[in-house]
Amino acid sequence: MADLAANTLSRRAFDQAWPPAALLIGLLVVWELACRALEIAPYILPAPSAIWLAVTTNSAALAFHTGITMFEAVTGFVIGSALGAVLGTGFAYSRFLERGFLPFIIAANTIPVVAIAPIIIIWFGHGMASKVAVTAFLSFFPLALNMMKGLQSYDRVVMDVFHIAAATPWQRFWKMRLPGALPYVFVGLKLNVTFSVIGAIVAEFVQADRGLGFVVMTAYRSMAMPRLWAAMLISALMGILFFLVIAALERLFVRWHASVDETR
Amino acid sequence: MVEVSNLSLVYGRGERRVQALDAIDLTIPGGSLVSLIGPSGCGKSTLLRVLGDLLEPTSGKVEINGRTPRAVRLERKTGFVFQEPALLEWRNILHNIALPLELRGVDRAEREAKAQDLIRLVGLEGFEAAHPRQLSGGMRQRAAIARALSTSPDILLLDEPFGALDQITRDRLNMELARIHEVTGLTVVLVTHSIREAVLLSDRIVVMTPRPGRISRVVDNDLPRPRSLDSRTHPAFEALVRLGNSELEKGYANG
Ligand SMILES: Nc1ncnc2c1ncn2[C@@H]1O[C@H](COP(=O)(O)OP(=O)(O)OP(=O)(O)O)[C@@H](O)[C@H]1O
Ligand SMILES: [Mg+2]
Repeated sequence: MADLAANTLSRRAFDQAWPPAALLIGLLVVWELACRALEIAPYILPAPSAIWLAVTTNSAALAFHTGITMFEAVTGFVIGSALGAVLGTGFAYSRFLERGFLPFIIAANTIPVVAIAPIIIIWFGHGMASKVAVTAFLSFFPLALNMMKGLQSYDRVVMDVFHIAAATPWQRFWKMRLPGALPYVFVGLKLNVTFSVIGAIVAEFVQADRGLGFVVMTAYRSMAMPRLWAAMLISALMGILFFLVIAALERLFVRWHASVDETR
Repeated sequence: MVEVSNLSLVYGRGERRVQALDAIDLTIPGGSLVSLIGPSGCGKSTLLRVLGDLLEPTSGKVEINGRTPRAVRLERKTGFVFQEPALLEWRNILHNIALPLELRGVDRAEREAKAQDLIRLVGLEGFEAAHPRQLSGGMRQRAAIARALSTSPDILLLDEPFGALDQITRDRLNMELARIHEVTGLTVVLVTHSIREAVLLSDRIVVMTPRPGRISRVVDNDLPRPRSLDSRTHPAFEALVRLGNSELEKGYANG
């Protein structure tokens, strides 16, 4: 039984993974061949082999910058999501907070990150703290809103069940409203995965002496396009990796929800 | 024993004022099964929610074994089954049934043993680890009944618990309820739209009329116990159904 389950599981993983993998390999081959056959200038479109060369010759430096950006993105993601969750909980429990603060939060969210990043950097200094702060700023809103919606989404009859059982407000939160909010929380977290990488890199564009955004800017200034492409692709891979981590957590925590299809 | 005297409940005020219950007097003997029946909007759910302390009456008095509905609820001696099973999707059936005990702070081994007993009582053996989504509507409602019984209540209140089920499942759950009532000796109040269900199950049928919600007649039902689906072939059964129906029709005519 267990063997069969494990088998079908890896079988499913394989079924899911091979189409994008095949497409990716196909794309790389066509890309490489096109660059060679059409003699496309490397600064317009570097061939995959040239990008790979840029990665291997700079591997130590790239690893360092990747680590910096990853740290900023993850820390900002965690801080922003946590603050958003707390404020979203406040909104869900207090009409006053919701009415008073929500309009300002929505307004703040419409500020383009490139406009707010310089201000945050002035406030938080030239180190990594300011990059973390920009990332946290971006991650804050999706979680505040989804946490609020999630906590408000409980079933009225389930609330009656808890009332009949003489549950305390604390029990209602932990055993009913929070578990019911998790599918929404994961919607917010998945948005934040993208926002956190964007936040860190945009902040590094504005001012930085390290990180993938810094690599992109310096490579751009010296027209080292394979290096720029390498940094771009690494940041994309980082986003995909974060997403897979969140998706795995979602499967773990909200397997019961209809949005997580058990048959896949 | 449940004693309701001069109970009134008004929703809203001004233009939107609705007199949902008007001077209700009702006695429910301990250990009996009483059905509330009447046209939509006559206040059946409202009366049941007052008994369960989900609503406060505007005036009048309710006593359950000499205590207020609130005192009974806070002692976890109220069992309530709603039309929807209202199970927690993220919990398996065993943990859903054990929920009220968990909320009361009963330790894990004890509450799971109790839940296991109830699973047997409602015939859900083998589905302990299943999640609500994997069960049929009838099975989910069985779980909801087991959950309501978990704290060993003094009174079981059911608001159209079988309304959403097909006829065969409904018959089967009716018999389950009759059996549970007969083995536990619980006082049961059942809201239903089906006069046949009311006659099949109850000791007493309370017919209500709307606008304002009042009791128009209380019919005593002496069909022999224990009840079974064969009780429907008893000579008195159809007579009671006819009596109930004619009483119900008066309510519709006025409404
Ligand atoms: N929360 C509420 N606010 C205002 N009016 C309400 C509310 N709940 C019920 N009512 C009104 O009170 C009256 C009695 O409602 P109730 O739900 O008790 O009827 P019911 O007999 O259970 O009807 P049904 O058979 O449709 O379930 C109705 O006129 C209804 O519109
Ligand atoms: Mg009702």
